Amino acid sequence: MKGLKGYDALVANRWVRLGVFLVLIIVLGVLPLVADPFTNQTISHIAVFAVAILGLNIVMGFTGQVSLGHSFFVGIGAYAAIIPIRDWWGGPLAEGAIVIGFVLSALIPGVLGLLIALVTVRLRGLALAMVTIALPTIGLPLAQKFAAFTGGNEGVSIRRLDYVGADGQTYKGNPFAAGPGLDNDQWQYYIVLTIAVAFFALAYFLVRGKYGRAFAIVKSNEAIAASMGVSPYRYKVLAFTIAAVYGGVAGFLLIVWGQFTSSETLAFHNSIDLVIASIVGGAGSIVGAILGGIFYVAVSQIMNGLQLSIYTTLVQGVVIVIILFLLPGGLASLPRTIRRLVRRGRAGHHVDAGPQADPTAENTK
Amino acid sequence: MNQFATFVQLVVDGLAQGSIYGALALAIVLVNQATGLVNFAQGSMAVLGSYIGMTVGNLFIPSTGAIVGIIIGIVVAVIASMAMGGLVERFVMRRFERAEEDTKVVATIGLLTLITGLVGLIWGFNPTPYPFFFGGSESLRIGGVSISVWSIVTFTTIIALMIVLQILFRGTKLGLGMRAVADNAPSAALAGIRVGGMRMAGWGLAAALGTVAAILLASKSQLTPNNFDGILVYALAAVVIGGLDSPLGAVIAALGITILESLAAAYVPWIGHDLKVVVPFILVFIVLIIRPQGLFGRRTVVRV
Amino acid sequence: MPLLELTDVTAFYGPVQVLEGVSISVPEGGAVGILGANGAGKTTTLRAISGTVRAGGSIQYEGRSIRGLRPERVASLGIAHVPEGRGTLGNLTVRENLMVGAYTRKDRRQVVSDVDYLLELFPNLKARIRSNASALSGGEQQMLAVSRAFMASPRLLVLDEPSLGLAPSTARTVYDAIARLRKESGIAMLVVEQNANLAFSVVDSVTVLETGRSVLSGTTAELRGNDDIRKAYLGG
Repeated sequence: MKGLKGYDALVANRWVRLGVFLVLIIVLGVLPLVADPFTNQTISHIAVFAVAILGLNIVMGFTGQVSLGHSFFVGIGAYAAIIPIRDWWGGPLAEGAIVIGFVLSALIPGVLGLLIALVTVRLRGLALAMVTIALPTIGLPLAQKFAAFTGGNEGVSIRRLDYVGADGQTYKGNPFAAGPGLDNDQWQYYIVLTIAVAFFALAYFLVRGKYGRAFAIVKSNEAIAASMGVSPYRYKVLAFTIAAVYGGVAGFLLIVWGQFTSSETLAFHNSIDLVIASIVGGAGSIVGAILGGIFYVAVSQIMNGLQLSIYTTLVQGVVIVIILFLLPGGLASLPRTIRRLVRRGRAGHHVDAGPQADPTAENTK
Repeated sequence: MNQFATFVQLVVDGLAQGSIYGALALAIVLVNQATGLVNFAQGSMAVLGSYIGMTVGNLFIPSTGAIVGIIIGIVVAVIASMAMGGLVERFVMRRFERAEEDTKVVATIGLLTLITGLVGLIWGFNPTPYPFFFGGSESLRIGGVSISVWSIVTFTTIIALMIVLQILFRGTKLGLGMRAVADNAPSAALAGIRVGGMRMAGWGLAAALGTVAAILLASKSQLTPNNFDGILVYALAAVVIGGLDSPLGAVIAALGITILESLAAAYVPWIGHDLKVVVPFILVFIVLIIRPQGLFGRRTVVRV
Repeated sequence: MPLLELTDVTAFYGPVQVLEGVSISVPEGGAVGILGANGAGKTTTLRAISGTVRAGGSIQYEGRSIRGLRPERVASLGIAHVPEGRGTLGNLTVRENLMVGAYTRKDRRQVVSDVDYLLELFPNLKARIRSNASALSGGEQQMLAVSRAFMASPRLLVLDEPSLGLAPSTARTVYDAIARLRKESGIAMLVVEQNANLAFSVVDSVTVLETGRSVLSGTTAELRGNDDIRKAYLGG
């Protein structure tokens, strides 16, 4: 018991947590300067989807609302970011266009999410699922129809501007060539990670405080929530809007990472992939979103790397079914589950004794 | 081509297409009545059945000839999917009987992914033709209008199947048992009805129905693992519009959606072919506002 | 050997103990009532018998233990439980409800004559034979529930508060029918009731439950006559 208690105390200690967090920040901060481009890009890629999945966790895991249309917000956010950048980066606004892109990628999906949430807040079950399904299902053909604006299937890429680096060489599309002299994968990493960490921190404080508690109450029983003065409507709308904003920002990060988007980003199957990754990581947990992001990126990278992309869907299916059966809280709940198993093993059988006997026991009379 | 002929063709093809959506929608309603959850994997289970039909059919055709081989393929596919449906209920879905709503949804989505992945692995993702009695483009001339044979056969087959199912439910002991369990499972258990078995039967029948629909679809447009992905969305829309607890409503809604969609695609220019998918959702939206329990559904009481 | 014998039966709902030691005996063809205040554990006792709730202790039916058997299994052994809330199948017609009762029976002809017998006993049901059960009044639903249980041709009929929610005259009618059923078929019965007088009209003996324990039992004659006991346990 001692070892377990010691571990528990350690994890719960606020200073330990802060310390671990700071160490992590330092490691993440230094990493891109020493690591190879592929590693940096992968970590950025993971961060992009971790943010998207975090949004999904807030609305599905924490508040219990089914959302099968999350890719819609990612896609809209990507378009909201890339179009200003494509059109205005070369103009007088210069890098300001990127900032505008960021703001729009949070704002436009957020407003859309708010409107959709207000309309659908009274729906539950299949009806709610249908509305969320409608988003990418209608969004994709809409994006294709307005191809002049959105690039349709072929998508939009950013025309890379020339920047002169500290060494006098010309670098395409790298605003950081001159100053700190960073490579593409590095500065993209820094932007993506900084924003991702900021949004994760935001979510962390949101969930720890009264909002998190409100979400949890609404999830478990709306009627009881209402009787406690916690308006289920208000918090469901809030959760959905937050999810939309996070999805949109993930779209912006996607642009930073890949400088490209197309109507494909809005596809319905992406929503499914996000939901699967969310559950595998742990839908009700913030750390779970990071694990989900890792899973999302890892699966496609590994499968493509092994030339086994034909197995990708199957692997996703197998993993999520296993998780649902054995570890419903996702990978993030692994420490908790191990702890529980250890505790049960040590406590012995006296917990289960008593009249609640098992049906197969012999009749004593 | 005159206007009337075009219109008739649209309606006939719409009915046929709609009957396929309706079959899947009915399967979803069946499963929901049997076990109280919406099975997002219903389409993929149907597709799996159709692939089995193709493989078995192709296996027998060289020795028994086309017609017998195809029939054997269909029969085996139906039996296999019944078994599969029952097994999935027993060993996968029963685990989530007491789970929350969104967990059940995710479970069926996981199942969907698993089955699609399995099909893709075994048979590949490239379109494969399904051996059938006739091609998808054959047509008859009736009263000066060219009508697709496939449309007629599909529509009549599925409607006939639905009638058979209806007879099963209303007129047989098995059907009675299934309806009793759907209505009040603990009470049915007290009468000695094996609740688990009835649930498995419900899933089995739904899977078989879906498989027949998938085979019919594949005979026209070839087999791919994702054949029913888009159709699932239509089927769900039909279920929402018709009412989750109304088998008849789901079918009628499916037919209605499809016909309206075809007409809108042909006659409303700004919708056209690319945006015709908004039609079912507009209908869903309208129904959810004016009659949220579905056009044929019953109002349910939410118990705290 | 009694038809049904409960000895020191216990039951839990999660961590809460609801039955602490219930002992009841129902002889072949006999009728026993279970009385007691709300929350005394009467319904739970019946659920323990039909297998709807997990129980400890001994539950013997025809000399064999049925404790822990699933409800479907218990029903097929000849115990028909009419639960609290009646359990009528609202979306099925009256006739279909009756046929559900006879689900496990194989003797077609006898089933048909049983239906005729019950419809004669309950003319209200006969009039509504084709209606959905949900359209029936409370009293009619109770009659339907009892009839459905009887359709199983059980050896033991277990009834949970047949008078619940019914107007006194309707409850009276239901009990008259129950009494007649008993007289004409010789079936054994176990009846949970809050209304002692109604119970006395049908059963031979009574067990009183208090906070999950059987505290008193005796024949109807004994308990009916004893004023102290009546005041203490049976509401005077």
